Amino acid sequence: MKSLRRFFTRLSSSVTSREQEERLREEIAQHIALQTDENLRAGLSQAEARRQAMLKFGGVEAMKQDYRAERRLPLLENLFQDFRFALRSLHRTPGLTVFVIITLALGIGMVAATFSMMDAMVFRPYPVPRSSDVVTLAGTTRDSSFEDFSYREYLDIRDKTASYDGVIACGYMQEVGFSADPRATPRVRGGMMVSGNYFRVLGVEPRLGRGFRQDEDQVPGRNAVVVLGPGFWKREFASDPSVIGRKVRLNGAHFTVIGVAPEFFPGLLIFGGPDFYVPLAMARVLSTNPQKNFFEDRDDRELQVKARLKAGVTLRQAGNELAVLAKTFELEYPNLNHTRGAAVYTQFQQRTLENGNWRFSVIFVTLALAVLLVACTNVAGLLLSRARARTREIAVRLALGAARFRLIRLLLAESLIFACLGGLGGIAIGCGVIAWFQSKRNIVFMTDLPVGVPFEMDTRILAMCIALSALSALLCGLAPALQSTRTDLVNGLKSADVDIPGRKRLWGRSMLVVAQVSTSLMLLTASFLMARSFQRSMLSNTDFVKDHLLISSFDPRFEQYNAAQTKQFYKLFAERVRQMPGVQGATLMHFVPFGQEGIDAVAFVPEGFVMPRDRAIFSSAMDTVDEEYFKTISIPLLRGRGFLASDTADSPRVAVVNDQFAKHYWPNADPVGKHIRFDNASGVRLEIVGVARTIKYQDNRERPMDMVYVPLAQHPVSRMTLMLRSSGDPLQLIPPLKDIVRALDVNMPMFQTRSYEELYLNWAVRAPQVGVDLVGAMGAVGLVLTIVGLYGLIAYNVSRRTREIGIRVALGAGRNTVLRLVMGKGLVLVSIGTIFGLLMGFGIERAMNAMLFDAGHVDLVAYLIVVPLLLAATMLAAYIPARRAAHISPIQALRYE
Amino acid sequence: MAPKHKTDVLQGTLALMVLKTLDVLGPVHGYGLARRIEQISGDLLAINQGTLYPVLLKLEQEGVIASEWGASENNRRARYYRLTREGRKALQAEAHDWEQTAAIIARFFKAKAEDLT
Repeated sequence: MKSLRRFFTRLSSSVTSREQEERLREEIAQHIALQTDENLRAGLSQAEARRQAMLKFGGVEAMKQDYRAERRLPLLENLFQDFRFALRSLHRTPGLTVFVIITLALGIGMVAATFSMMDAMVFRPYPVPRSSDVVTLAGTTRDSSFEDFSYREYLDIRDKTASYDGVIACGYMQEVGFSADPRATPRVRGGMMVSGNYFRVLGVEPRLGRGFRQDEDQVPGRNAVVVLGPGFWKREFASDPSVIGRKVRLNGAHFTVIGVAPEFFPGLLIFGGPDFYVPLAMARVLSTNPQKNFFEDRDDRELQVKARLKAGVTLRQAGNELAVLAKTFELEYPNLNHTRGAAVYTQFQQRTLENGNWRFSVIFVTLALAVLLVACTNVAGLLLSRARARTREIAVRLALGAARFRLIRLLLAESLIFACLGGLGGIAIGCGVIAWFQSKRNIVFMTDLPVGVPFEMDTRILAMCIALSALSALLCGLAPALQSTRTDLVNGLKSADVDIPGRKRLWGRSMLVVAQVSTSLMLLTASFLMARSFQRSMLSNTDFVKDHLLISSFDPRFEQYNAAQTKQFYKLFAERVRQMPGVQGATLMHFVPFGQEGIDAVAFVPEGFVMPRDRAIFSSAMDTVDEEYFKTISIPLLRGRGFLASDTADSPRVAVVNDQFAKHYWPNADPVGKHIRFDNASGVRLEIVGVARTIKYQDNRERPMDMVYVPLAQHPVSRMTLMLRSSGDPLQLIPPLKDIVRALDVNMPMFQTRSYEELYLNWAVRAPQVGVDLVGAMGAVGLVLTIVGLYGLIAYNVSRRTREIGIRVALGAGRNTVLRLVMGKGLVLVSIGTIFGLLMGFGIERAMNAMLFDAGHVDLVAYLIVVPLLLAATMLAAYIPARRAAHISPIQALRYE
Repeated sequence: MAPKHKTDVLQGTLALMVLKTLDVLGPVHGYGLARRIEQISGDLLAINQGTLYPVLLKLEQEGVIASEWGASENNRRARYYRLTREGRKALQAEAHDWEQTAAIIARFFKAKAEDLT
């Protein structure tokens, strides 16, 4: 208690008045006066009386020191002094200060921005309480470790496992026709079906109303209830609390709003959150596969299953239990579950194993760290030369008895200030880069669904920025501080310039330059590799037509059409659309190439193909298209024919495959006339009637993949996209198209309506360009910093050797000799740096190939561009100060000082 | 003349002496305190008088003594120290502790070998 009180008094007197000092002086004076009087009374002479009094009092200064130490907190005070001093000395060199701060800010900001990306994609926990208990359950096959489950399988998992405090299931976010007013034309929103226990198991309490009751998810189609997402409630209902109990229409069916999910729970998806949730029991309205019975068919696999681990149950135990259950499925349903296992994943495993998108963020973070490294070495180099310039000052301080530790602290205080300001700048730059990412949202995601870029400057990233700043303060400041306080006193005092053990001294700085050159070479290599592989990827398998095309999607289920009505709708629609003026071609397709929607997969067995022993089926991507498809989008048919109007529901089933598929299963034979069976060896038999050229279907980086096309007439799908070829601006076809749709059904929504070229460019060109730009920016920053760093070193060297060069010139050294002398050092450093940089470049190329491109070979052209570029730039950086050295006039140089 | 045997004073002891002196004398200035301590200890205790001031400051910060300006014998301004109520309590506690410690130590010195068997 007492000591606490004392601490606060001391703390306050550390920062307050000098009057205490005054008081002490007065007390001492009075004390000595009184003692002197006493001594006078004892008969001493005036002078002697005072002398004795002083003697008796003891050392005044020493006592004052003690007094001060008692009065305040000396440690804190010294720190405060250090900072004041550091601020003052930084103020004297504003150029350097600003440069250092900008350099650090760039480094820290880059790392912050890229790490926010990586955090969102890999680390950020689910926004639910005790999120680490939430695990993902997934089916495994030979081809994939993240297979969805069917409704029946989910029920079995839920009821027959003991490892969990609840097992939940959810479908994918999907397009749902929504209207708040039953008479209005539905708009497309993103809905998700979830199991009745979804919110309860996740521990998410609705902010308004309630979550689903268990009984609301038991009888198919009975309880039409919906929980709204927080963002949707805000946008669509203006945060109106009276929304509870209101009726809304989803895909033509009436639903009652029972709750609103809380703000902190936008869903478990990384990109974007569902607008609303409905119980699985309402799957009839939302199921994506109309050809299967969601509630009965064990192979209608549309559900992702997650569960909350019971306390004390390990992941391995849960995994074993699930694997055993998967085995029983396999025994019970050998047709449907052959070689189908199951596994349990943590959130981290799920995020990193399910797909490779996160790898970009790892590459970005690595490169950003490299930028930070270059920035730090640069700053360290600058501080080193600054410290050298202060040799004399420091020598004086040491000679006067300053403790080395105290001086190091003083110098570290400077770098701490750099780090603080640099950190602040870094946060600002990080925010800027993140805002730039956000501004690309509409380019990366060209969709009507509620998706977004989840990269943000949250507390996690802020904390990381602070840690990075502190780290870089140490990194930049410690070496210079240690080195400059090791000054040889005698020489240091003699002249600020003399640097006798010079070789050793500069070794550290040379290392820094080598590190910079090599790191920035790596950065440049990475950015060129990225740009080049991106360009290469755009050239292959993308030669279908993209311009003058309008696309618009339809889903008659939004209006509760049955199969016959849907067929009729599309038939009439296609007929009328083809008669529109300005339309040169029209086709209906299920999947739009580069359309950002997931592509359907189909299980099949090629007839006459010897199946490997351990598998019963193959799987391929599948698309449903009409007879005009190949012509409209200009995918050439290499063999056989496309679909014809004569391929109807009653005629023999046919399919077109791409040449990748054909090569895969009939490498030496003509695939036309061969047969495949869907689902399994006893499934529907289709005759292959044509082979289409392979294109890229989803993105630029994809490897050639198998594709099966089936005709719409034989394989009705509800959600189709119309593609119109126009003679002029495709967007001008929208109004007449609307009229045609309205004539067929007033309320039929048109969605994802846009120019196909825009869609393609955004997804295939502009979105990857964001990454290329980012890496390019990092490469440029690295290069600039390196140039500045090298320039700084050579310039410093020149100024240090001014006298020596002067003498050399006076003794008859020519300009070229001096130039060589000065630049030689830079050349050596750059060469060493280049060698290391090449090694690192190969390393990063291997990493990028492994993670992103699968290119597998060394891109020589990239190096042929990058290495000379770097050499030229660094030589220039060395040449400028060297030229100045060559022009040193001996008279001036020797008069110096 | 051989010098008298003088004792080093621990700071804690000095603080206790200050408190006790203030208790006895009432408000007094720094010089008075120093003189008084010297007199009572009978010159056995040789301290630099200056040492007193850091101790006074520490005690004041702890709140056991307080100080204010007043006029001194030679009609100059002097800082007068006095015990606070808290200080009185502290003094009692410390005096008690001290007596106990002294008593224990004293017993150890009195103890003879045979007492311990």
